[in-house]
Amino acid sequence: MDFLANLSMGFGVALTPFNILMALAGVTAGILIGALPGVGPPSGVAMLLPLTFGMDPTSGIIMLASLYAGTMYGGTITAVLINTPGESASVVTCLDGYQMALQGRAGQALGIAAFGSFIAGTVGVVLLMLVSPLLARWALSFGPPETFALMLLGLTTVTLLTGEDPLKGYISMVAGLMLAMIGFDIISGDARFGFGITEMMDGVDFLPVAIGLFGLGEVLVGAEQSGRRQVAKAHVRLRDVLPRPADWVRARWSIVRGTALGFAVGILPGAGPTVATFLAYTLEKKVSKNSREFGKGAIEGVAAPESANNAAATGAMVPMLTLGIPGSATTAIMLGGLMMWGLRPGPMLFEKNPQFVWGLIASQYIANVLLLILSTLFIPLFVRAVRIPYSILMPLIVVFCVTGAYSLKNNVWDVGMMLVFGVVGYFMKKLGYSPAALVLALVLGPLAERALRQSLIISDAGVGIFFMRPISGVLMALALAAIAVPVVRAFLRK
Amino acid sequence: MRSADRITAALLLALSVAFSAGALKQYQWWGSAGPGPAFVPFWVGLVMAGLALMMLVKSLRNPYPGDAWLPRGEGLRAMLVVLGVTVAFVALLRVVGMIIGTALFVAALVWFLGRHRWWVIAAVAAGAAGFNYLVFVRWLRVPFPEAGIWIF
Repeated sequence: MDFLANLSMGFGVALTPFNILMALAGVTAGILIGALPGVGPPSGVAMLLPLTFGMDPTSGIIMLASLYAGTMYGGTITAVLINTPGESASVVTCLDGYQMALQGRAGQALGIAAFGSFIAGTVGVVLLMLVSPLLARWALSFGPPETFALMLLGLTTVTLLTGEDPLKGYISMVAGLMLAMIGFDIISGDARFGFGITEMMDGVDFLPVAIGLFGLGEVLVGAEQSGRRQVAKAHVRLRDVLPRPADWVRARWSIVRGTALGFAVGILPGAGPTVATFLAYTLEKKVSKNSREFGKGAIEGVAAPESANNAAATGAMVPMLTLGIPGSATTAIMLGGLMMWGLRPGPMLFEKNPQFVWGLIASQYIANVLLLILSTLFIPLFVRAVRIPYSILMPLIVVFCVTGAYSLKNNVWDVGMMLVFGVVGYFMKKLGYSPAALVLALVLGPLAERALRQSLIISDAGVGIFFMRPISGVLMALALAAIAVPVVRAFLRK
Repeated sequence: MRSADRITAALLLALSVAFSAGALKQYQWWGSAGPGPAFVPFWVGLVMAGLALMMLVKSLRNPYPGDAWLPRGEGLRAMLVVLGVTVAFVALLRVVGMIIGTALFVAALVWFLGRHRWWVIAAVAAGAAGFNYLVFVRWLRVPFPEAGIWIF
C-alpha cells in the first residue's frame, strides 16, 4: 500500500504543468543533442545542468533524466540516416540501421527504434520503481568499508569498459582522483594543493571539467573533421515510421531480450548504455534465425540495441539513486548535480526526499510517452534538424559551454577551467584516454577518500576491514578482479 | 602516437612523484584518530607513478611509431581557429560582456567555418545572444559581465 501511495504522490509531483514542461523540454533537447554528432549525453547533461540551478531540484532532475532518455533515441537518427552515431550508444545501430536506410527502409528502422525505446524505457521505469526501494533499504546497512569497496568497483569497471587501452583508462581515472584531492580536506580542513590561489583552495569543480572535456573537447575534435561530414538525403514520412505487423513479429523478442539485458547491464556500476548495446547486438546475432542478414539491414539488429540503450539508461539511475554510485559518465554528472542542489545521494534519499525520488520515477513514465510521440509524429522535424550544418552548430555549442561554466558560480575562473579541460579533452580523445573515467573519479574521489579514511579509523589502521566483512569482501574481490582482467589478458597474449 | 605516449608518461611520472612528495611534505600523514590529509594523495600519486612507469616502459619497448594523430592542413587550421576565437571570447568577456560577446563570437565563427550568407550569420548570432539574454539574464538572473554594454 505504501508503494501505491508513493507512486501516486510521485505522479502528483510529476504532473504539475511546470514539471511536464520540463520533461518535454528535456526529451526534445535530448533527441536533438543525441542526434548531433559530437555532443553526447554527458555533454548534454553537463551543459544543461546550470539551467536547473534556479529550479526546484525535482524539476531539475526530471529535465535531466528526460534528456538522458531522449539522447538514447536521438543518436539513432544520425546512425540510421548518415551512418554516424550521434552518441556512443548508437554505434552498433549504424551496422544494420544504415543498411536499412540504403534499402529505402529508414522509416522502418527509426520506427522500430522508437517503439523499442518506448517499451524498453517503460519497462525500465517499472523495474526501477520495484528494485530501487529494496536496494536502498539493503544499502542502509552499508558502513564506510562497503561504500568504499563499492566505489572502487565502480571506478575499476568504468575504466575497464571505456576505451581500448586499459592502461590509459586507469591513468585517466587516477588523474581524476588526483584532481579530486585538490581543495579543502573534508576531515582535517587543510587546503591541499591550493598554491595560495583562492579558487584552487575551493577545489576543482566537476562541472567546468565535464563541460570542457565533453562539450568543448568534442567540438575541437569535430572542428578538425567538419569538412569530411556528409549528410545523406532521406525522406522520412510519418507513415513510414509506424512498424508493420511483419516487423513486429520479427522484432518482438529482440525488444524483450534487449530490454532485459539493457536494464541488467545498466544497473552494474561502470557499465552503461554503450556496453549494453554491444552485448545486445552480439546476443541477437547469436540467437536469431536470420543471423545471416545481420550487417545487411536486419531489423532485429536495430530493435535489440535500441531497446537495450533505453533500458540501460533507466537502469543506470538505480545505483545513482540508491547507492550514490553512478554507473556512467552521464549519471556521474547527474550525481554531481544532486550534490549541488544540496541533496545527499545514497540510500537515505528515499527516506528523506521521497518527493524527489518518486517525482522522478513518475516523470519517467511521462517522459517515455512524450518520447514516443515526438519520435513518431515529429520525426520529419528532427530529420531536418540533423541537416543543420556543423558550422552553425559548433559555435552555438561553445556558447552553451561558456555560459554554463560561468553561471555555476558567476565567475570567469570556471570558464577558464572549462577552456583548459576542453584542450585536455581534445588530447585525451585523440590519444585514447577516457574522459568518462576521469569525470567519474573526480565526482567520486572525495566520497571515496572519506569512506577509506573512516574505515581505517574504525579498524585502527587495519586493511583487513575491507575483506573481513562479507559485502565489502565480495565487492573488493570483484574490484580486484576488474583490475586483474587486463593484466591477465596482456599476459596471455604473449 | 608512440612519442606522444612517451612524453605524456614522462610528464605524468614527474607530476605524480611531485604530488606524492608534496603531500608528504606539506600535510600530516597520520592524525590523532587515523589517516591524515597526506595519506590518500600520497597513495594516489604513487599509483599514478606506477601507471606512468608502465606506460613509459611499454612505449619504449614498442618498435612501431604508430599512426600520426595530429591533424594537418585544413583540419589543423579549423581546430586552431575554433580554439583561438574561443580563447579570445573568454579573455574579452569582462570587456565586451556576455551578450554582445556571444553575438560577436557566434558571428565570427559561423562566418569562418561556413562562409554563410550575411543574413544567416546575423540571424544565428542574434538568436544565440537573444537566447542567452532571455534564459540566463531574465529567467535565471545570472549576473553576466556586461561592462561593455554601457558604451552604447
